[in-house]
Amino acid sequence: MIGAILDRLRSARGMRRARLEAFGAIVHLAWPRSLVFVDRVMARRVTRVAGEPAIWQGSEPAVGERVLSAPLEAHLQITNRCGAGCQGCYTGASPDGAPGEWGLAEWKRALDELAAAGVFHVALGGGESASVPWLGELADHARARGIVPNLTTSGLEGLDALVAIAGRFGQINVSLDGLGPTYAAVRGFDGFARADEAIRRLRAVKREVGINVVVTRHNFAELPELFAYAKQRRLSEVELLRFKPSGRGAAAYRDLRCTDEQHRAFLPTVLAATKRHRVRVKVDCSYTPMLAHHSPDRALLAELAVYGCTGGDFLVGAKADGRLTACSFMASPPERPRVTELRSYWERSDAFGAFRTWRTAQEPCASCDYHELCRGGCKVVSAHVTGDASAPDPECPRVQAHRPRVHLPVL
Amino acid sequence: MARGRILAIKWGMNPNSSSLGVDVTFLLVGATALAMATPLIGALLRWRKAPVDPAK
Repeated sequence: MIGAILDRLRSARGMRRARLEAFGAIVHLAWPRSLVFVDRVMARRVTRVAGEPAIWQGSEPAVGERVLSAPLEAHLQITNRCGAGCQGCYTGASPDGAPGEWGLAEWKRALDELAAAGVFHVALGGGESASVPWLGELADHARARGIVPNLTTSGLEGLDALVAIAGRFGQINVSLDGLGPTYAAVRGFDGFARADEAIRRLRAVKREVGINVVVTRHNFAELPELFAYAKQRRLSEVELLRFKPSGRGAAAYRDLRCTDEQHRAFLPTVLAATKRHRVRVKVDCSYTPMLAHHSPDRALLAELAVYGCTGGDFLVGAKADGRLTACSFMASPPERPRVTELRSYWERSDAFGAFRTWRTAQEPCASCDYHELCRGGCKVVSAHVTGDASAPDPECPRVQAHRPRVHLPVL
Repeated sequence: MARGRILAIKWGMNPNSSSLGVDVTFLLVGATALAMATPLIGALLRWRKAPVDPAK
């Protein structure tokens, strides 16, 4: 046991990287897998920084007080081709893909730019990313540039090729929105058996395999069984994603979104399943309002880097034609630069629009104790429901409690 | 000499290409477990200095 830990530490030693930030630095540890945010004093002790870096001039801000110098991770939609036809697909993927999709050469240049900016991880997705013939070469290029490539797949296409190159990725998650018939209820077709096969085959060759679960009103009650499934398959994590009204999901939103009661019950349900089945759980950034509903320790959330919408700050996305987005769920305006121009766009005062103006929030976010962490909730949901991306997340339990109640006249 | 502080730890790697996944397993065990893990991470950080990139 101790020998195995020491072996992992030794093998991970050379994969350590750091990036200076105004508050200090972010250090990437390959084992245990983590990004560690440290203040300036500690940054001097644990990084090879010399002199007085320009980024440290002036006062030392708290984490989150200023936009990071570059994203932590980039979400690259390397294709929008996919034949599955899921009813809630947030990219509206199709067998034909998107116009102007980039190829290997363009995505390699994108990785060069991301590495130059100091990005630590990329998450490769689609469409069906596993169907792309140059996926392994792209993963190798990321590694060569010091970036860890991670991958999401439906498991429905390209499995043989993916199993052969699985070791090149940091973490691979397979989308699994339900067991048996629930999968079909959420996705609109019965693909459970194929997704399950993909999970088993990938887990046979790789330890860091998990599942992504888009939580809808149809599979919410099944969450404990999904955790049990993850335990049975010896998966490394369950990642829970809130349903977003994006792509084909916009039309399916009202039928698939969780109920308000389910959102309020989300955190205790998830933690109970985690405790029972002893499987690590991750939640996506849009769930922060549902966590805040239970008034968890704010300091603990900050220490775990639990933030709400960090699009255009901690993360950035790129569409299949390379156009930048603050978040993969948000449409990208035609004039938006490509990801190969990330560094110049990142510094613009108007970059990413509403994603960076969350401090000027409306009530009740403006006076909410969790606003510095939550940042107003999911802007994609706000934009769809209210027409204003900067409006408070309408599914947030605190926002709902703040709404004026309409009292019927007493006759 | 001041030792400095670990401000936050984001655990794991995010394979999800649509949103930032954060590990909330620690919410189950609370601040005490995180307080126990933090010194170990600090020791790992001090074990060998990390190269800085890119120049800021």
